[in-house]
Amino acid sequence: MLKVIQLDKTYGSNKRSLKDVNFTAQPGEVTAIIGPSGAGKTTILRSVNQLIRDDSGQILLDDQDIRQANKAELRKIRHHIGMIFQNYNLISPLTALENVLHGRLGAKSTVAGMLGLYSNEEKTEALALLDEVGLKEYAYQRCDQLSGGQQQRVGIARALMQHPKMILCDEPIASLDPKSTKIVMDILRKLAKEKQLIILINLHQVDIAMEYADHIIGINSGAIVFEGATKAVDDDVLQKIYRQADDAKAVVSANED
Amino acid sequence: MKTSFPSPQSFFRQRRLRLSVVLIILIGIYVLSMTIVNFQTWTSIVKIPAGIIWLFHNFIPTERSISYLGPILYQLWRTLLVSISSTIIASLFSLVFAILGAQTTTPHPVLRIVIRFGASLLRNIPVVAWAMILLFSFKQSDFTGFLALFFMTLGYLTRAFTETIEDLDAEKLQALQAVGANYFQCVFCGVLPEAASTLTSWVLYMIENNLRDATLVGLLTGTGVGFLFDFYFKSFRYDAAGLIVLLIAILVIVLELTSTMIRRAIA
Repeated sequence: MLKVIQLDKTYGSNKRSLKDVNFTAQPGEVTAIIGPSGAGKTTILRSVNQLIRDDSGQILLDDQDIRQANKAELRKIRHHIGMIFQNYNLISPLTALENVLHGRLGAKSTVAGMLGLYSNEEKTEALALLDEVGLKEYAYQRCDQLSGGQQQRVGIARALMQHPKMILCDEPIASLDPKSTKIVMDILRKLAKEKQLIILINLHQVDIAMEYADHIIGINSGAIVFEGATKAVDDDVLQKIYRQADDAKAVVSANED
Repeated sequence: MKTSFPSPQSFFRQRRLRLSVVLIILIGIYVLSMTIVNFQTWTSIVKIPAGIIWLFHNFIPTERSISYLGPILYQLWRTLLVSISSTIIASLFSLVFAILGAQTTTPHPVLRIVIRFGASLLRNIPVVAWAMILLFSFKQSDFTGFLALFFMTLGYLTRAFTETIEDLDAEKLQALQAVGANYFQCVFCGVLPEAASTLTSWVLYMIENNLRDATLVGLLTGTGVGFLFDFYFKSFRYDAAGLIVLLIAILVIVLELTSTMIRRAIA
């Protein structure tokens, strides 16, 4: 279980900060964070694996506080947290298989990782994972020759190579067409159910969140304004989550007129 | 706000006006500097045809020049090797410096400033000056030429490599950090594969460039094909000197074509 307690974060001046963020995400569930642009969705996600630091609060993954971990411990923790991105962030001149194998870097010695010395078991597993996301025949293709949806699936396979307890998804479908969106979201939901993973996902698309998420966290201006089961989300809740941004927008357009 | 909104006509009028002003300034600078150095544009242009005729008359290789082909090819070969080896050794050092000095991969910001400054210093000393400085310590030898090219290339490639690495998408490296990769793994599994094709392009470009520079350096260090050119030239064997120029040009073109081919293959 992931438990985030009283997370605070300020960027330099005062913009894009997190204020007293508390929420939990359960294994076997898809937890979606929704909210207007700039509300702090990405900041929350990146705090969880400490790509963004200097905050206060507690981030407990199976009762271990990620924020208290030293460098070596953090590396070990990160090894068990997969992450996928809007822009896939694969190393594009390398093959799909090599990118999946990168999922092992956190568990390997520095030199073995640097030189790409992977065991036969690791190579076999990487190929099996590509098969699982339906990309076996693309294993030896450069990633920049794959479509967006395919690249995102390679990203998922890379995350699975980490034997993750949790996968963080930062706007995973924002650059995808509806068909690829469905494929990727179906895979993520399946992983949550079958492997009992925590899937924590930032989404712009409310309809996708409503369709796939079990648990919804609504965030506005760095503060959580809703947390609960997806079926508890109604128009009033959505208005609360998206209100201020719309108001702000209305003010701006009023000024322009 | 509304009152200051320009009409498209006045917007493009202003555009044209600005362009005309820039042109007039450039012409003014030309006229002024020509007056200062006492350069008569028209009389110089008139002299060009006669100069070209003299050049062709004297520098066109004849049957006699073929007898010089052996030594010329031998020295050209040596010059090519010196330029390739100095570029490759310099690029290895540059790669290390660039990784240490690029904003995305530097271990410490102070190191970054030191490397930037050092590279800019090396780069901004012309290769000819390098050759003349090194001439005192290493005398007239291939090694002096090698070092002159090496230092200049080191400065140039460190800068080019640094910028290549800084242009990489930092998010991709973050993705590797997120899987638990440490610094060296990020560099080897992320930075190097992402940058490899651009880095190779720079190295190939530098080899071409250094072949041209090597002939110039050879003039000063008394080695290679540059020295041979100087020697034939000063002993009035213009046809042999012309043959050298021709062969250098051919070699540079061949080199350019080859590196274009390699670049395309790895892109």
